[in-house]
Parts: sequence; C-alpha cells; structure tokens
Amino acid sequence: MIRTVKPKNARAKRALEKKEAKLVENTKQALFIPGQTSNKALHDIIVDLSALKKPDMKRFNRKNDIKPFEDVSNLEFLSEKNDTSLMVLTTNSKKRRNNLTFIRTFGYKIYDMIELQVAENMKLFQDFKAQTFNVGLKPMFTFQGSAFDTHPVYKQIKSLFLDFFKGETTNLQDVAGLQHVISMTIQGDFQDGEPLPNVLFRVYKLKTYRSEQGGKKLPRVELQETGPRLDFKIGRVHTPTADMVKEAMKRPKQLEPKTKKNVERDDMGDQFGRVHLGKQDLGKLQTRKMKGLKSKFDQVGDEEDYLNDRESELNVTEDSGDDSYGEDFTTATDIQVDEPAKKKQRSN
Amino acid sequence: MSTEKKDYKSLPVTVEKPIPVTYDLGNLSVFDSNVLDKNALDSSNAKREESIKDLTRDNVQLLINQLLSLPMKTTTDSVSSTMTLLQLPEPTTELPREKPLPKAKQLTKWEKFAAKKGIKSKVKEGRKIYDEASGEWVNKWGYKGANKKLDSQWLVEVDEDVKGTEKELVDPRSLGRQERKRLIKKNERQQKKNLKNNA
Repeated sequence: MIRTVKPKNARAKRALEKKEAKLVENTKQALFIPGQTSNKALHDIIVDLSALKKPDMKRFNRKNDIKPFEDVSNLEFLSEKNDTSLMVLTTNSKKRRNNLTFIRTFGYKIYDMIELQVAENMKLFQDFKAQTFNVGLKPMFTFQGSAFDTHPVYKQIKSLFLDFFKGETTNLQDVAGLQHVISMTIQGDFQDGEPLPNVLFRVYKLKTYRSEQGGKKLPRVELQETGPRLDFKIGRVHTPTADMVKEAMKRPKQLEPKTKKNVERDDMGDQFGRVHLGKQDLGKLQTRKMKGLKSKFDQVGDEEDYLNDRESELNVTEDSGDDSYGEDFTTATDIQVDEPAKKKQRSN
Repeated sequence: MSTEKKDYKSLPVTVEKPIPVTYDLGNLSVFDSNVLDKNALDSSNAKREESIKDLTRDNVQLLINQLLSLPMKTTTDSVSSTMTLLQLPEPTTELPREKPLPKAKQLTKWEKFAAKKGIKSKVKEGRKIYDEASGEWVNKWGYKGANKKLDSQWLVEVDEDVKGTEKELVDPRSLGRQERKRLIKKNERQQKKNLKNNA
C-alpha cells in the first residue's frame, strides 16, 4: 500500500502545494550548513555568501556531521525538509583547508557537487568598508576564461554560480537595479595535464559616469570592489548522470510559443493569411431569379424522383468515357490545382 | 575631485576585444573567452587585483552597452517615482530544473470508462437546494443537509424494499444513516484503489 500524505489543515495543504513541482519554477533556495569541522573563517565566508543570496536562503548555526562524498542521504534529507535545491557545506581538514562543498539537487536527489577550497588571500565584506548594494537585486555576471565554455569542470562551475546567484527570472529588469556584478576569472589559461588553475571570485559595485563619447545613452562604467574576495581551488567533483541531466534540462511543452499556421510575411513585410474553405455546395447556389422558378410553383413528389433519375443517367454517360467537352475547356482537375494557392489579403 | 570627473568624461565607452564576447542578456551575463595573462593573475603579482578589476570593467562596460540598447519601458507607479524597465530576452544558458516536470493527473477508473463510452461529465449544479417547507436554501449534503431530512422526522414510512426482510423492524432513520456511511466508505475504497493502480 502506498503511503499518501494528506494534509490535516489548510496551512499544511498550502505548504505542500508550494513544495510541489511546478511548470514555472520559483527561485532556487539555498541552504548553508556548517560541517563538523567548520571554523570562524568559514563561518564568515558563508555569512557573506548568504548575504549575496538573500532573501532566498537559509543558514544553519549548528554544526552537522555530514561527509558529502561518502554518504549523501543526510544532504538529500535536508534538501527535502527545507525545500532547498542549493546547498553549501563547510569543512576544514589538513588535506582540504577551508573547504566549501557546493551541492545542487534535482527532485531532492543529488545533482552535482564540487569542492572549492578558499585560498589564503581572502577578504570579506567588512574588510573593504565599501558602500554595498541593496538586498535581493539581480546581479550581473562576467566569466573570464575560455575554459568556462570548454572544460567540463569549469562549465560546471559556471552553471553552478549562475544558478546559485541569478535570483528571480524576469523579463523586465529595472535599470536602477543594475548595481553589482559577480566576476569569475580563471587564473590563466592551461593545457591538458596541468593542474586546474584557481577560480577567482570577485564582487564589484557599479559606478556609472556620464561620458561625452557615449552620449546620453551609454555611460562610462567604473567598478569598486565590495567583497567577498575568494580564490577557489578546485577539489573533488561529482558530476550528474546523463539520465539526470536529460531529465533536469527538459523544458515544458506547454510554455513553448505556439506556431501560427497559415500566416506568413512576404519580402515587403506584408502579412498574408491563408484561408481554407470547405467544398462549395452547388445545390444551394443562387442562380438567376425568375417567377417561374419560385418554390410555390414546385411540383411536389414526382418531380424529385424525375430529377434523381436524370442525374444518375448523366453520371453513367460521364463514366463511359465519352467526354463531350473539348480540350480547350478547363476541366475540374485544373481548377483544383489552382485553389490552394488562392490568397486573401488581410486588412493591413 | 573635479579633475577626476573630467577624466571620466573623456574616457571611452567602447571596448575592443580580439575575440568578441558572448552574452546571455536574460541572465545579465557576459562570457569572455579571450586569452588570459597568467603572470598578471598570479597571486605573487602586486598588480593582480588591478588587472582582474580592469578585465571585469571592460566586460561590464560591454554588457551595460548591450543592456541599455535593449527596448525600454517607462512606468510611473506614483506621482513622483518613475521606473525604466529593460525588456530582457529569454535566458539562453541551460540550467537544470529544481524538480522534475509536473506529471499530468492520472485518470480514475470511472474517467477511463466514461471516456471510452463517450459519457460527458455532468454540469455542476452547485451544492445548495431550495427547501420549499422552510423557504430557505439548504445544503444538499453536509451540515444541515437535505439528505438528512428523514432523520429528524417523528413519523417515517418504511421503505418497500425493506418490507418482509429482517431489517423491517430496525429504525428506518438509522438505516438512512448507515447507507450514507456505506457510500462514503465505498468512495474512499475506490479512491485508494485508483491511487494504487495509478502509482
């Protein structure tokens, strides 16, 4: 017997509905978890990272004994319980110093994981003493380095950070909301076989100045660093299975724009619509009106039989192949060829 | 301060790159695949942060130039505030979904049968019914439901079907209640069966 969770009150019902899979998804929520070996530096880092992710985040205060590359059941449980598909776990060991594990889940199952170790020269918000930007704004992203398009690990990092910080998906963006930029740079290009270079994570605030060259529209952009400044060394990586990727990349068919049939544009930009008409019923054709053809003069009964007889006789003569029409006349088949090409111009 | 301001005015707003950068304007992002100078980005270099900042600035300038040339829409919320909104295109970078696509609701056994036979579902008439005796609209079922009318009568006729069976002597009011309870149980059983079959 399958166990079905039936909500006991309206609030629980709403909460369950909110958790359900949707066609248009909500912003991914992030969960920050201090690991068993977390320390002060890591705590400060996740405070800063969570400030960038606000308000779509949750941060735990207590330490959790989770080893993501050995057992994922705890993480999957926390993902389902908090309905968060992005997680960051902090651990520290001699081998992997100041380690952040970024985890993404798909349907409460682990999608991918990557370990990023913070190098020595990190700086936080507070070290810059710079004016920061408003909470909850959509950031801009710059990715520097060709490996972000070619190397699988860096592709994963690009996808992860875009997914993590992009915030709400909108088609309207306030110009005044373009306040900060997240910059990811690969520390130099590299060849196959060389160790993977670090990824440099920087956050800048935008300052725009009126420029003579840009005219009224385009400003000159300058940047001011606000932090956090983190250099990530790449550790262990868990990649998603091909099946999971296929399932996760599916786009709902219902949201695809509908193709408009029978409407086309020509080279001049005029719009044409093609109208398909049914077969015309020639029996109802209005012919010349005469007094003698009025319905009150109709002979009831006999006449209809007589007409039917004539028609069947006519058909027989046609079938016999003795065609009385000359070749100069247009035949019925010729007309049918022309018919679909008939275009009716729309109002414009 | 004034000299600095003049400086910005004369600075260019265009950036030249050997390989043109690519954009994903829906995600407000720019991807630069030009060659990176390893020495400039090395942690031992004193000018390292400067070079990262300059690199980013150039790319942000390119992105801002692209963004501000998108179609714009101005809205006025209240008397004083106006907002300029950019109309962003669809994001092009493929990112994984959070949860699998919602599945279509499975048909119940009855719905399958009805579809096969071409039976159309009834038009919903609402759950209220007019009570002639009291002149009020009452629920068809549920609280003070019209199906419970007989339960509170002082005189109830014995049903023809019950006559001659062992139930003849049972209070007909309680029989009505039993029947209702039985139907509820039956419906629950059917629901469970449908869930099980569709799982």
